[in-house]
Amino acid sequence: MRVFRLGHNWSDAFSDLEREVDRLLRGVNLSIQGLRFGRQYPPVNLYELDDEYLLTAELPGVRVDDLDLTIAGGMLTIRGSRQPDGASDESRFRRQERHCGSWQRSVSIPDRVVEDELRAELNEGILHIHLPKAPDEAPRQIPVSGK
Amino acid sequence: MSGELTRPTPADAETTPPSDGKSAEGAPVERFVFTPPIDIYETDEGLILHADLPGVTLDTLELQVQNNRLTLFGRVPDVVPEGARLVHQEYREGDYLRSFILSDNVDHDRITAKLTSGVLEVFLPHAQKAEPRKIQVSGS
Repeated sequence: MRVFRLGHNWSDAFSDLEREVDRLLRGVNLSIQGLRFGRQYPPVNLYELDDEYLLTAELPGVRVDDLDLTIAGGMLTIRGSRQPDGASDESRFRRQERHCGSWQRSVSIPDRVVEDELRAELNEGILHIHLPKAPDEAPRQIPVSGK
Repeated sequence: MSGELTRPTPADAETTPPSDGKSAEGAPVERFVFTPPIDIYETDEGLILHADLPGVTLDTLELQVQNNRLTLFGRVPDVVPEGARLVHQEYREGDYLRSFILSDNVDHDRITAKLTSGVLEVFLPHAQKAEPRKIQVSGS
């Protein structure tokens, strides 16, 4: 069983609380995005498939040109920004719930990933990063010398 | 603030089983329904509304005006390959629903919308001001 260290592992009790807060926030008609406990942005999900891991993140309104992915030493860094697409004059806003600006997040990626073969796509505001698994190495015999 | 504002209506139920949802067993799948964050701002020509709908495509977006109410419903199709096992989760997937009461000042027939990179932009043009019309008065 592999253990992942992507952000924190919330306990069940905590997700209950989180759900409750979500419900309350929704009740007063506030946007829940980004309001929670100084959470890291963007939130990510990680899936495991037979031959790869898949990391997904919701990034609405982020253009490919404004997104930067780097990998070094087992850390994948996602950096990007969202340009404001609204009025330049704040007084013309009647409602403003969406956020813009720049952000950065680093996640440690699972072992056994071929770092050179990472690929990513950004469609409909959802980022998919494919992390191909390295093939299992065959056990290598180590000769033992002795007297 | 006045009654003329385009008012968002209160958030809808947090989870509702979609009417056409189905699973392999045929039982309805419960999906989350989120209230998407929006911006509304004024321009000289009308109001512009932006809504964050990541994952929603042109085919899965429904935008409707009925009885002065603008409703947007965006379904998020499953894009994760079948057989994928979720091993770490920080956000939940679900659909988006929100509706707004339009002011009388909006010309319903000229509303336009576009969807780019998971962001919906709706243009709500001001209604043209009616030209003053002279009314003939006839006397007896």
